[in-house]
Amino acid sequence: MESYEPLPENRDPVVHLDRQFWIVTAVLAVLALLSILFWIWAPITIFMPEAVDKAQEIDALFRFLAATGTALWIFICGYVLYFSLAFRRHAGTPENAVGIQIHDNNKLEFWWTVVPTVFVVLMAIFSIRIWYGIEVAPGNTLVVEAIGHQWYYTFRYPNVNGEVKEMHLPLGQPVTVHVTSADVIHSFWIPAMRLKQDMVPGLINTMEFTPTRPGKYEIICTEFCGMFHGDMHSGTKENPAYVYIDRPAQYAAWYARTERQQANASNAVAAPASNQLKLAGGDAAAGAKMFATKCSACHALGPFDQRIVGPGLKGVLYDPAHPQLVDGDKATPDNVAKILQNGFKGSMGQMPNQAGNALSNKDIVDLVAYLKTLR
Amino acid sequence: MAATAVHAGGGLADHIHPEPQGFVRKYVFSIDHKIIGIQYMITAFLFMILGGMLAELIRVQLMKASGGLMTPETYNEVYSIHGSTMVWLVIIPLLTGGFGNLIFPVQIGARDVAFPWLNMLSFWIFPVAGLMLYASFLMGAPTAGWTEYPPMSLQGQAGTSMWAAAIFLIGVSSTMTGINFLVTILKMRAPGMTYTRMPLFVWGQFVTAPLLMIATTALGAALAALFVQREFGVAFFDPARGGSPLLWQHMFWFYSHPAVYIMILPAFGMISEILPTFSRKPIFGYKMIAFSSCAIAILGFMVWAHHMFTSGLAPALQLPFMVLTMLIAIPTGVKIFSWVATLWGGVIHMTTSMMFAIGFLATFTLGGITGVFLAAVPFDLHAHGTYFIVAHLHYVLVGGSLMGILAGLFYWYPKMTGRLMNETLGKWAFWLFFIGFNGTFLPMHWLGMWGQPRRVAMYDPQFQGWNQVASWFSFVMTAALILVLINALWSMRNGKRSGHNPWNARTLEWQIPSPMPYYNFKHVPSVFAAPYDFAEPLPYRGLEEELTGAPPPVPAAH
Repeated sequence: MESYEPLPENRDPVVHLDRQFWIVTAVLAVLALLSILFWIWAPITIFMPEAVDKAQEIDALFRFLAATGTALWIFICGYVLYFSLAFRRHAGTPENAVGIQIHDNNKLEFWWTVVPTVFVVLMAIFSIRIWYGIEVAPGNTLVVEAIGHQWYYTFRYPNVNGEVKEMHLPLGQPVTVHVTSADVIHSFWIPAMRLKQDMVPGLINTMEFTPTRPGKYEIICTEFCGMFHGDMHSGTKENPAYVYIDRPAQYAAWYARTERQQANASNAVAAPASNQLKLAGGDAAAGAKMFATKCSACHALGPFDQRIVGPGLKGVLYDPAHPQLVDGDKATPDNVAKILQNGFKGSMGQMPNQAGNALSNKDIVDLVAYLKTLR
Repeated sequence: MAATAVHAGGGLADHIHPEPQGFVRKYVFSIDHKIIGIQYMITAFLFMILGGMLAELIRVQLMKASGGLMTPETYNEVYSIHGSTMVWLVIIPLLTGGFGNLIFPVQIGARDVAFPWLNMLSFWIFPVAGLMLYASFLMGAPTAGWTEYPPMSLQGQAGTSMWAAAIFLIGVSSTMTGINFLVTILKMRAPGMTYTRMPLFVWGQFVTAPLLMIATTALGAALAALFVQREFGVAFFDPARGGSPLLWQHMFWFYSHPAVYIMILPAFGMISEILPTFSRKPIFGYKMIAFSSCAIAILGFMVWAHHMFTSGLAPALQLPFMVLTMLIAIPTGVKIFSWVATLWGGVIHMTTSMMFAIGFLATFTLGGITGVFLAAVPFDLHAHGTYFIVAHLHYVLVGGSLMGILAGLFYWYPKMTGRLMNETLGKWAFWLFFIGFNGTFLPMHWLGMWGQPRRVAMYDPQFQGWNQVASWFSFVMTAALILVLINALWSMRNGKRSGHNPWNARTLEWQIPSPMPYYNFKHVPSVFAAPYDFAEPLPYRGLEEELTGAPPPVPAAH
């Protein structure tokens, strides 16, 4: 084998790009320009209406990203295709032919680092501006709470008791949505708003926007949440999930109607099924003692409307005048136990939950057994 | 300068053991990096068949908006195991344990990796863990996707704990491979093989090894915590008892984002070998390609929370994660531009391997660009958790990693078997794959934008048309992969004999016989330059006897 001679340091040939290269570059530039124009005028809203102010901003960002990205992709793929064809080895090329032995080009590498950096900085600035608008609350907002369940959504409104299954928002009114979950992680996505937040148990995430277009829009869950995750959108009959953006008068009517319908609803969060206490075998005598120490400060042993803080509880499970408990649920031992577990907050005042009253599960079972004896 | 640096022979680098003769020691419990590499590949391709079948089950299910083939429960199991298989049992083992083991030790002029026994252990954990993962089907497989977010994964069936154990074991195997490769590259390079003379595939493995070592430990901790909570009720992820579901997401993505680079950096290395070889040109901007790999690896550790923009991440954290993620576009762009420039002025041999490498440039670039879109928090708020993500990740992992793997398979197949794969079949496979792949995943971009969430067994009927398009094209893609499989099996016995260097490539593995002999090198060579100067003589000394019939040196006595 011949001895190895070290290669000279600066050994790259001088390169002149030919006319063909510049013609191809011009064609690619035209295509890139057309793609940019396409994304500027692309009728996105035909497929996806923009229902809130933020949607327009996010779409503007998307147009910018898509235009830049498509133009870049056209250039890269165009050159790849052109080089692959133009420099393809022909049938007559000798087996040992080599290409132009060029290793690098500092100027070229400098520019193709700097130009993308400029674009990244532009992208970052554009994104941060829009992000800032999304993150900062507009103030004077309507606060609505959205709660994810397996496999449906519920909503809470100020001064409306309990949870409702439809989300209505007034046009033009800044809205803050607090999203959370009663069980596993869900996600709350309204494509027409271009906004989404995960519903994480034990955590409240926030979305802020102002509705700008009346209509009925889908809510879709985008975080896998169990067997019927695919059902958590409006495509299925069982769990319609929509947000309605109403004109202010319509909204006011809906709100008044809902407030009335929900007057007797409980704000207690429904206990997860696994926590449902088994009520058999309660000790009524122990319950009576417990009632005297823990409950009698607020609840009389009189009829339902004899209030101290809460209602009187004599015959609460049998009272024909009050067949229902506060949340519209039937006055059954199970529902009473639920209130004891979760507490109550609403039209009839407040009651601490199980922990607040320092009740054990057995205490609750005993108390329910005792209440059963009051006829 | 050269003469004094030439390796004299007979030193520590020449220390060799006799080749084992029994079938079991030679092919089953082998400590030879090449056999282990092939074992990894065969095992991973077998799992790829399983994972591919699951993928087709998904596509058949989604041909109808109402589902129909499977119950939602089964469907959830299927896509969870599909994702876990493809990430942990196919792409990572193929790129590191498979092609890494087979090629990079030879490329640095070493006789084996630093810890051959550890290497064997790494491999044998992998099929065991894979079988455990599939055994979880018997117990009720996990259903919450390959990410297994709690609290959902806490409700999962019994197999979810099995899944955690299996992935934990894979992690142990990965970590050991990372240590092994890192030490090998640091300590076992041939004389003269400086860092700036290493082939770029070695650079790919060199940068990947620390990722395997460091990131996988976070995954191990997360999996252990999940297992302990599921089996013993310790409330790591339960908010009612002081835990946090987001803790899992942080730990999981602290691994799984670097894992994205584990799955692409070695493929970058492959492309950086294949493009210059078939263009007969030095790789353009060698130093920038190597340097940008390092930059990607370092940045890769600082961007994990971009998977959590909608999870309730503090706004003050969203901003740096967004900007750092966008920064990754710069080193990645530098690589892509360098590859394109490598093609310019070449003498391009359009082999199947080269076609896959060029296809990689088109599809990976698209996946990279949509990655920048998703880095922008406002756009991510819309696209997160939808089919847009599914499209993006498959463009990167199939259009990137798998395209690289297929290019590498056609390229290095002769080094395993001494035969070439069939080029005609290969080109058919390329075109079917390229068309099938784009037809499957391109429509998913707009499906996601219009409102199809990922991980659903049924969906809004208005999306049925495009889903059917995706499904039909996925059958084309599968046909292409079956063609590659047939080609690989057929060529083992019937392929054209390749000789030692069918592609006129210049890295060290092509200077020794095919298949590569047990010792790799009869004499450890000396290296004088990077291997990309196609107009120059080879920059190696000491290879004179490699291709002659000269007997290998007598193994050191024990």
